[in-house]
Amino acid sequence: MMVQQARSLSQDDLRKRGPGFLAYIRKYWFLYMLVLPGFIFMAVFDYGPMYGIQLAFKKYSPKAGVWNSQWIGLGNFERMVGDPNFIRAFRNTIIINLYNLLFGFTFNVFLALMLSELRLKKYKSVMQTCVYLPYFLSWVIFSGLVQVFLESPGTGDSGGLVNQLIVAAGGEPVDFLKRPEMFRSILVITNIIKTSGYSTIVYLAAISGIDPALYESAAIDGANRGNAIVHITFPRILPSVVIMLILQLSGLFLSNFDQVYNLYNNYVLSTGDVLSTYIYRISLGGGGTDFELSTAMNLIMNVMGLIVVGITNRYVSKLDVQGIF
Amino acid sequence: MTQQNHEQRIRVSMLQRFGFNFYDVFIFVLVTLFALLCVYPMWYVLVASVTPYSEFVKGGLMLVPKGGVDFQYYVAIFSTRSFLNSMWISVAKTVLSTVSSVFVTAAMAYGVSKTHVKGMKLINALVVFNLFFSGGLIPQYMLYKDLGLIRTFWVMVLPGVLNITYFIIMRNYYSYSIPKSLEEAALLDGCTEMGTFFRVVTPISRSMLAAISLFIAVINWNDYYSYMMFIGNKTNLQPFAWVLRRMLVDQTMMNQVRKGAMSLGSQPPPPMALRMATIICAMVPIMCVYPFLQKYFTAGITLGAVKE
Repeated sequence: MMVQQARSLSQDDLRKRGPGFLAYIRKYWFLYMLVLPGFIFMAVFDYGPMYGIQLAFKKYSPKAGVWNSQWIGLGNFERMVGDPNFIRAFRNTIIINLYNLLFGFTFNVFLALMLSELRLKKYKSVMQTCVYLPYFLSWVIFSGLVQVFLESPGTGDSGGLVNQLIVAAGGEPVDFLKRPEMFRSILVITNIIKTSGYSTIVYLAAISGIDPALYESAAIDGANRGNAIVHITFPRILPSVVIMLILQLSGLFLSNFDQVYNLYNNYVLSTGDVLSTYIYRISLGGGGTDFELSTAMNLIMNVMGLIVVGITNRYVSKLDVQGIF
Repeated sequence: MTQQNHEQRIRVSMLQRFGFNFYDVFIFVLVTLFALLCVYPMWYVLVASVTPYSEFVKGGLMLVPKGGVDFQYYVAIFSTRSFLNSMWISVAKTVLSTVSSVFVTAAMAYGVSKTHVKGMKLINALVVFNLFFSGGLIPQYMLYKDLGLIRTFWVMVLPGVLNITYFIIMRNYYSYSIPKSLEEAALLDGCTEMGTFFRVVTPISRSMLAAISLFIAVINWNDYYSYMMFIGNKTNLQPFAWVLRRMLVDQTMMNQVRKGAMSLGSQPPPPMALRMATIICAMVPIMCVYPFLQKYFTAGITLGAVKE
């Protein structure tokens, strides 16, 4: 999983190995001390919850607790597969992620190329400041903005700006956030506005590392700027593009709880309900207490996600880019 | 054919004399449009939130505040008790989480970056594995319940102390961006591992630590998830992000604020205007740190991402 370069042991290390375990610990005690607090937090808060996974195979009774509840084999998984809402959430999650890949991901690369082609350096940095900004606002704020703009006219107000414009142009106001057929588009577009600028940073860093002499010699050979993008810039950022692509693919079964939860409502469940929101609704939110089903779904998602990561990581490690893992 | 080419070339060179061509204009326009799309909504909300009621109901593009500046919505918001209380909760939570998170994560990342030390590779694998495989919501809930953390302030702080994403970034930074020769020289000169870490490595990674602190602080400031999942209905522990969310979606909260505004003597403000003022309040802290964020984040996100 790691693309780390193993360092060979130094002579010093080999000599110190002799006296055994305690001496070794004593030599590196400080490094172990540094790791210890993090290790404890990891053990407690990351691995600690894992005992709860057994709930996926049990029938939970609050009285007996997690350990003493009754085993029921794969019953929860059977219920899961037979649950039309689960199937719906599963399909929505994958469709939305594929849309994000198709439109969002390509737009990120496009935007990075456009930004790098801006000639006025001052203007370019102003533009970068503008496009990075939405990334730092939370989805709560951002969905508040979306609602303010898309709201349909109610009693006493003229609705959001978009509907004001539609009405001014002589059209009928549209209740965007309650139309199932529009919800996925809204998710994809808001995601682009919020995260695209930020996503270009990696590409822009790769572009800034390109030797300017390459462009100069290409220009002398008669290449125009379009050619330069295709033959110089793009091949140079390709490794970063592939890495980002693989990272995004590995999240195929993950869904952006924050975004969907803050934007969706009962009207758009048919196209907008994703796994994370569904898991939340049936267990802690919305009055549901189906802890077992929720845990079972989470387990399946994790296992499928691991498989995808395992497959994609084999490709990452072949690239000449230091993986994030 | 060649004639045409020749003409084209002349046209291009003429345009270049003025410093631009159509290609540049095209890019200029597209990028500007997208940047406007990113920034205009915030400007609109800012202007609308200070526009007096009589102008506000007319709608419009809100490019500049018309009919004077009026802070009545802000007054209404800040006279609601839960707002100020939630600000304090958020500040406390953000400071505690960020400080502990940066210390713990950076220390662990440095230790683990020394892959020649036994056990570090295993620990690294254990941490990274968690990025893809976790217990999930309910197992977390069960654990916090067993630890007695449910419905306490600490459930918003402790679980996030080790930040896996930034652990990976910092580990890469320590392994690849700090010159090996520097540490080796320090060790050779008789500096201990501890001295090397505090006197050599930490000073030169200051800007990385600053960048990551800011990122983690923003995450913590924006977090309402831990409250929603594990506390739920203890109003004295509400973080600001949660109050904000309630203002935006919860009718009862909105009515509470509107009633408060009425007792101040004004007519009940329109919900939409109150929402906008709330959004601006929530954006202010982020805007304050944004210049610093921007200074560091290019470094922050590309840290150790490209092999040298």
